[in-house]
Amino acid sequence: MALATNHPDQMYIEGLANNDSAIIQAIYKKFVPKVVYYIKNNSGDEDKAQDVIQEVMILLFNQAKAQQLRLTCPFDAYFFLLCKRKWLNELKKHSNKGVTIKEELTSIHESADEMVLQTEHFDEKQQLYDVMFQKLGEKCQEVLKLSFTLPSMEEVAEKLSVTYGYVRKKKSLCIGQLTQWIQETNRFKSIKNS
Amino acid sequence: MNEEHFLEFDEYLQGEMSAADKLVFEQQLRDQPDLAMAFETYKELQLHLENKFGQADELKAFKQNLKGISKKHFKKSKTKVVTFKPWYYVAAASVAVLFGLFFLNQNSDPTFEDYNQPETAFFTERGEANDNLKLAQDAFNGKKYKEAIPLFETILKTDQSAEIQYFYGVALLEENRLPEAESVFTTLKMGNSIYKNKAIWSLALSKLKQKDYKTCKELLLTIPEDYEGNDQVDDLLEELD
Repeated sequence: MALATNHPDQMYIEGLANNDSAIIQAIYKKFVPKVVYYIKNNSGDEDKAQDVIQEVMILLFNQAKAQQLRLTCPFDAYFFLLCKRKWLNELKKHSNKGVTIKEELTSIHESADEMVLQTEHFDEKQQLYDVMFQKLGEKCQEVLKLSFTLPSMEEVAEKLSVTYGYVRKKKSLCIGQLTQWIQETNRFKSIKNS
Repeated sequence: MNEEHFLEFDEYLQGEMSAADKLVFEQQLRDQPDLAMAFETYKELQLHLENKFGQADELKAFKQNLKGISKKHFKKSKTKVVTFKPWYYVAAASVAVLFGLFFLNQNSDPTFEDYNQPETAFFTERGEANDNLKLAQDAFNGKKYKEAIPLFETILKTDQSAEIQYFYGVALLEENRLPEAESVFTTLKMGNSIYKNKAIWSLALSKLKQKDYKTCKELLLTIPEDYEGNDQVDDLLEELD
């Protein structure tokens, strides 16, 4: 497939990534009412809608910041679908009756479906990475945090009063530990799904 | 995967491998799918951590801004539906007509004067020796801004504190020296002092004075919800809509 070009609505994504208040307000004005209407009509209320929308906006911000969000469909369809599916998942999680919501991708726009799946995949991965990070020992967490906050590894070494060689080694071994856990999880998942 | 592999990944990603080692490493990636997969995961984790920690401040700022905008949006949309009995309409209509007549000649746009409530300056205790501070404080509190401005300028030569800058800015604003006032507030806005939000508010008031409602509103929306004067911010925002 040829590389899809950016949709003109990419400006919303850029606006989110730049924390541009005017764009965020525009999104609220133009696209949010539809989501609120949907959630209110599907066992939700305005507060729930507000939460879902904020979660989706933060997710889009993160994905845009990670340079992984190239819109190939109208923002409207993409945003609505993301919020809708997030809400339905929320309902599923909290329904003790085991209600199954029959929800297929609605195909308003083919590339919207694809984009939504990409974003959901990104979301899952981020969550998995965060969970794994919490499993690391205190020292690993500290070294990694500083490695990606301070401008150089020399400064990390100085801050922790250890040698440069030590922090360099520690950093890659800690990411290595995460790598191993993630690979195990992925292998487990693919066994479960096969 | 063992430790050596991860150390190698790091070396490669940091661009510290010799050209020969690099070629060997890349060949290994092609020959060993397991290694290639681990390397991909490693790379992705590194990117994730870079974003997570490197942009933590930006994310925080985004969340705060988003929360404010969201709150405002939903507050506006919450209009209560009240069931009206017919005769209420008559009463309501006549009240509306009265109000309409009353406000007919009034400008419905909010004005600077509605929100102009400079706070009291309190730089110095009675009896302290520093004359300029006391004089500036008295002039400012007495609304003699013209007198206060040169005093502030003298003080600022030795004391660049956010507090003095802020009150200097307010004095300029009151005296309609708007470009100067705005430059003072913009500096404070960039900083992290306790006057940061007050400065944004003052900047918004300066825009209001110039009837630049759009910029005024944009500025107001960047003030966090926990700002002490948030009620005024909300009021003005509502009026601007």
